[in-house]
Amino acid sequence: MPTTTAQLLRRATASTFEDLAFLFLEPECSEEQAAAPLDAAVSVDFHGPVRGRLTVRVSSTLMPTIAANMLGEEQARHVPLQRDALGEVANVVCGNALPLIAGADAVFRLDAPRWIADEPRARDGDAPAACVSGGVDAGRAEVELFLFGTPEQIDALRTSGADHVSAAPAGSIF
Amino acid sequence: MAFNILVVDDSAVMRTMIVRTLKMSGVPIASIHEAANGEEGLRRLQDEWIDLLLLDVNMPVMNGEEMLQRIRADERTRDLAVVIVSTEGSETRLATLQSLGAAIVHKPFPPETLRDTILRVTGVTDADYYGPVAATSDSLDF
Repeated sequence: MPTTTAQLLRRATASTFEDLAFLFLEPECSEEQAAAPLDAAVSVDFHGPVRGRLTVRVSSTLMPTIAANMLGEEQARHVPLQRDALGEVANVVCGNALPLIAGADAVFRLDAPRWIADEPRARDGDAPAACVSGGVDAGRAEVELFLFGTPEQIDALRTSGADHVSAAPAGSIF
Repeated sequence: MAFNILVVDDSAVMRTMIVRTLKMSGVPIASIHEAANGEEGLRRLQDEWIDLLLLDVNMPVMNGEEMLQRIRADERTRDLAVVIVSTEGSETRLATLQSLGAAIVHKPFPPETLRDTILRVTGVTDADYYGPVAATSDSLDF
């Protein structure tokens, strides 16, 4: 069965949350999870065969847990470290997702993670190429992958990873 | 043998995680030093005796690949044990790093993967790490 970009992004996201932050990304949200706002956010810009951005948004109630699981209870009290921990989650999701999507030969350079919770969401013209979301602990998480480039560049990227990437419903892939 | 370890990663969070993992893994540690990029890491190597380098790839100022090339070009450090700890997924780039004598640990990693890789690249044997296994004797009297 062909694999879509959204599925590859979900795989990278789920494994990163699990292995790095010891949290499970559930495909469906409970009522409590669905009601939690996505009010903490970081992004990682990347450059390579195409430019793009990966954003990770989570409920801020998850931030101490993510930091504690990654850094220990002592460090988790500090808000800047909580933000850095979420940034590292985004960095690792991005680093793992791009080779899955673009193929193992593609070389990307990743910028440092940036805190974007205080910035407005992307404009309508910047629709994500793929988006995954789900429940996490008592909150929820959403990861979006944006690709910036000409249609030819994006097609070339799709061709690079073509052995496992196929066309998908509008809005979820390229 | 206890190791003097240098951790080079631009993410303070990842350095903390790696140091925490090292301490949990039971790898014998004499000292741990940190640097935020390849250039800073090379300065650390000049100032300190380092047995093992844990190195990220994507970093500002000087990336891990360039730092590793410089290490291998310097006769004082060319034999240093190096483990790349990175999200790098490009097979081309990973092959280059491996050709420079580095072992690879992919982020995210379980602690035992980091420990086992360190023991392998440093040549520490099971007997060194776990201690000698008591020999069984046929003459034991039950």
